[in-house]
Amino acid sequence: MSGRQSTLGEEGIAQELAESQRSISIAEFFEKNKHMLGFDSGARALVTAVKEGVDNSLDACEEADIMPDIYVEIEDLGDYYRLVVEDNGPGITKEQLPKVFGKLLYGSRFHKREQNRGQQGIGISAAVLYSQLTSGKPAKITSRTKGSEEAHYFELIIDTDDNEPEISIDETTTWDRPHGTRIEIEMEANLRARQQLHDYIKHTAVVNPHARIEFLEPNIDEPLKFERAEGAELPAETEEIRPHPHGVELGTLLKMLEATDSYSISGFLQGEFTRVGATTAEKVQNNFRDRHFGREMAWQPPQAHEGDIEVAVRAAVANKGKDATKSFAREVANAVSDRERIAHHELQSVIDEAAEDAADGFGTTFGATVREKATAAAWAQITGDTDDGEPRETLASDLYGLIEGATSSRKDDATLNGLADRIAAKFVDSDDDRHRCTRDELDDYVKRAAENTEEYDDATIGDTARENVWRAIWDVMATVPDEPPNVSTVASGRDTASELLEAMRETDIISPPTDCLAPITERLVEGGLRKEFGADFYAAATRDAAVSGGDPFIVEAGIAYGGELEDGGAIDVMRFANRVPLVYQRGACATTDVVKTINWRNYGLDQPGGSGLPNGPAVVMVHIASTNVPFTSESKDAIANVPAIEDEIELAIREAARELKSFLNKRRSMRKRREKQDKLGTILPEMATKLSEVTGRKTLDIDDSLARIMNNVLIEREVEDGSVRLVVENNDSTNAEPEITDIVTVQPENVETNGDDARVVEMDGEWFLKWSPTVGSGDEAALTYEVNGDASFDVSVDGIEREKLTVDGEQ
Amino acid sequence: MSTESGEQTNGADGDARERLLALAAQFYDQFERGDVPHMDVPTRTKTNIEYDPEQKVWVYGDRKSTRSANSVRGAQKLLKVIYSIDFLANQLEEDRSSTLRELYYLSESWDLDEAQFNSQDESNQLIEDLEIVSDVRREEFHMRPEESGAKVMGPLRLREQTNRGDREIHCQHDVGQGGYQIPNDPDTIEFLDNDAEFVLCVETGGMRDRLVENGFDDEHDAIVVHLGGQPARATRRLTKRLHDELGLPVTVFTDGDPWSYRIYGSVAYGSIKSAHLSKYLATPEAQFIGVQPEDIVEYDLPTDPLADSDKNALESELEDPRFQTDYWEEQIELQLDIDKKSEQQALASYGLDFVTDTYLPERLEEMGIL
Repeated sequence: MSGRQSTLGEEGIAQELAESQRSISIAEFFEKNKHMLGFDSGARALVTAVKEGVDNSLDACEEADIMPDIYVEIEDLGDYYRLVVEDNGPGITKEQLPKVFGKLLYGSRFHKREQNRGQQGIGISAAVLYSQLTSGKPAKITSRTKGSEEAHYFELIIDTDDNEPEISIDETTTWDRPHGTRIEIEMEANLRARQQLHDYIKHTAVVNPHARIEFLEPNIDEPLKFERAEGAELPAETEEIRPHPHGVELGTLLKMLEATDSYSISGFLQGEFTRVGATTAEKVQNNFRDRHFGREMAWQPPQAHEGDIEVAVRAAVANKGKDATKSFAREVANAVSDRERIAHHELQSVIDEAAEDAADGFGTTFGATVREKATAAAWAQITGDTDDGEPRETLASDLYGLIEGATSSRKDDATLNGLADRIAAKFVDSDDDRHRCTRDELDDYVKRAAENTEEYDDATIGDTARENVWRAIWDVMATVPDEPPNVSTVASGRDTASELLEAMRETDIISPPTDCLAPITERLVEGGLRKEFGADFYAAATRDAAVSGGDPFIVEAGIAYGGELEDGGAIDVMRFANRVPLVYQRGACATTDVVKTINWRNYGLDQPGGSGLPNGPAVVMVHIASTNVPFTSESKDAIANVPAIEDEIELAIREAARELKSFLNKRRSMRKRREKQDKLGTILPEMATKLSEVTGRKTLDIDDSLARIMNNVLIEREVEDGSVRLVVENNDSTNAEPEITDIVTVQPENVETNGDDARVVEMDGEWFLKWSPTVGSGDEAALTYEVNGDASFDVSVDGIEREKLTVDGEQ
Repeated sequence: MSTESGEQTNGADGDARERLLALAAQFYDQFERGDVPHMDVPTRTKTNIEYDPEQKVWVYGDRKSTRSANSVRGAQKLLKVIYSIDFLANQLEEDRSSTLRELYYLSESWDLDEAQFNSQDESNQLIEDLEIVSDVRREEFHMRPEESGAKVMGPLRLREQTNRGDREIHCQHDVGQGGYQIPNDPDTIEFLDNDAEFVLCVETGGMRDRLVENGFDDEHDAIVVHLGGQPARATRRLTKRLHDELGLPVTVFTDGDPWSYRIYGSVAYGSIKSAHLSKYLATPEAQFIGVQPEDIVEYDLPTDPLADSDKNALESELEDPRFQTDYWEEQIELQLDIDKKSEQQALASYGLDFVTDTYLPERLEEMGIL
């Protein structure tokens, strides 16, 4: 029943609540925070209470796989208002009552990553508390669980002394619903926010097309009914997901580190985050090592003239036998020269490996001391620190190559040499013989070397060049194999944790899974609009899931246009988050902002000044489904301006608006066509009449000419001596595919066509000739048949717009 | 539409009516076939005017514009055409006539709003369309312009059919100082006899009056025709008939500026708006008397400097095939060179009789007319 326990969106409030209950009474707390909870005025309180009750019921039904059937009633009792919310959910047991209604009194520990209505409010418990505080009346709850013989009636009151929910009455009762829950509360309230209340209910019906809602309020006799959309199904079940590494903040990370059972960072990453397996964990860990330990510089192996590793290593090894020593030294030398670059710890591995091989081959043990000496001797050759060589020169020539590749060709040789030489000096002078340094240290090497080069060599090395040089060197440096700090070490140090967080963020990690989201889907967005608005046109678009701050989200948009929608003034914007309508603070919402920035003139709507809300008989709806909808404030009335979300909102709206545009264009061209046809429909007959008059010839039939002028599809019948010929003439520039039904009062015989077959069906003494020819532009198709005796005909045509069709003999 | 130009015969009202009805029948047939009713009319712009070297007149080229019921505008045009045909056919049947302006106002009485004319330009243009498509002249429709033709003075006796019966008129003896008024349809005139030697068309009213006052017509047996700026169709038609039927040489006497040369051009070669009637209206043999730029120099006439628009007009005349003869090229280049123009009346600087006693006789002699 996680819906009924729907969590507080923000951990902060929950904790505050949990703490405050110990020191102050819940009544006092509520009074202090009622603006935050949505109960700051009598008008708003009623809207909030309805909202909490309905959301609660919807969640309860959906979790039990029941198509929601919800009844809401508001009754004016004079002093108070009574609110009744009834559902056909699974019902509730006595044990569950305090959990549902006392939720406000128990804080929740973590925010769940799941698309959840509960994110939008704090639950029915707040309404219960508010009603008790204002009217002094208990909440009356009737419930019947599925299959139980009888229903239960409870009265629940919250003891404000010890802040505990108490069930004061518990008795069995009869109820006509086979299962469900009914909550009845009385509260101080007013109906000044009637419009918002209506909006809330109607919008809820739009966005929950699978729900059936009835709403009865004072001054109306019959409840308003919002029926289920045809073919609507329960929303897909959602999965709760673990956080995504890109979506956590330092504070959350520290808490997770404290709470985890893992010892290693790798285990922690794999266990606590979504989309992190061994490979990704290793990548993050390497980035973490780089941040934490720095990297080691990897140098090119010495050239023949620069040094001889084999000789040096042989010299460094004493008392290991000639053959073993020789083999060992050769293996090291070969392994090193095989590599493009080698760092100190890599050299160590090479030595270790050669030592093992020598031990295997010659039975000679190359102990730690020997290995150390050999490593030092080889490293000296690599870095040029020999009797013949100066390390600075060797390293500088290596760096020269890197720097040359990283900087623009305009830098002269002296500058590059100077810079390489000075950076080489930094490595040589550093305390770390292994040439290990962090990003910052390397940055410092480059910066100082560059500054000196500018000062002494009269050169210019700009920030971009410095950055490129830094990047070129950092890229060849090697990640060190040191064991990263364990979880407890990271947890205890803010700086180290911050290094981990940076490592997580810089690692490419696939987007979080989206099965935690249940979009309404295009079909049902349209269905929801269709059932609540008698419009001429509907369009809907559901975007693919996207990610913002580690939280997956899906944006859906819908547009209804024309018909019964009110024309004159700005369009309506309906906003939803996780299937809950947002009623207040329209102007502060990212959704509204996006609607205003779109150039609606492009899409055929009137937009005075070219920005702002467009005018016209239209409704635009936007639904955001997310595991964590970013709101502008605690009251959760408006979506925050998060660029990634705004982009998706815009794309979704534009997708739907494109359909609107083609609809409007088509409608406009049809209107023009109709106007033309009307005009010509007056002029041509007059012309024909006058012509008959002037020429003294018989009355003219102008349908053919008119059809040709209008590029219409003309359907013409010729009857002669019992043989009937039905001709389709296509004057349009595209193929026409009319579906023609000719109803004949006698049986047609010898039915023939010049192409697509026709079918004859008899029904109640009438013969239905069904014929669906495809007629190319400028072509004709003909259907012929014979009838015996007097027959009357009635032809009807589908598949062609009324405006583009001329049926001969009909106006 | 018919493109062949049938012989335009006098008083062929029956023909005119039949031709109009044939056009209506053509629309009827188009309807009956299920076609879109339409008619093709030559595009009446400068770019679609061609010189017919054989006839030495300007005629329309091959470019056509189609008036088709395909669009609302086109359908309205055709509707007006058909209403106009109906009206004209009735008018011919009743042997009445009306003016172009009357037609415009008359359309207001038609029961269908769509058939009414929006402006007189529209109705004028429609009548021109009808003339071209039906190959019947406006005059045969009994349509006349609001302003009438100009005046003639000279030794010519003619018979005019009027509404009030035939009248025999001598254009010197039977008329006042103003001369004989050319009727709207000069084809109602029959030439009886004459003593004329040549025709002298004069641009301005002042010069015409001067010639008449000085008795130039009498003295030289000239038929003086007043053009009055761009000559009306009736004036040009009569001029052509005087030339063709009486074998009289035609001369044109205008101011010495580019606009006046165009007046000569329209008498001699035809105009753009009525190029379909060039064969009927133009007199290619007409000769230009002056004032020539050469005369300005030779007679040292009082002048005005050329305005920019004058120069442009002269330049464009140099490129106009009508003026691409040695004579005109020489004259126009000379005028551009001296940068001057003169009016006919400038000749008065040598006295009121100079034009009749000296200038015209000298020029006409040069031209071989006297």
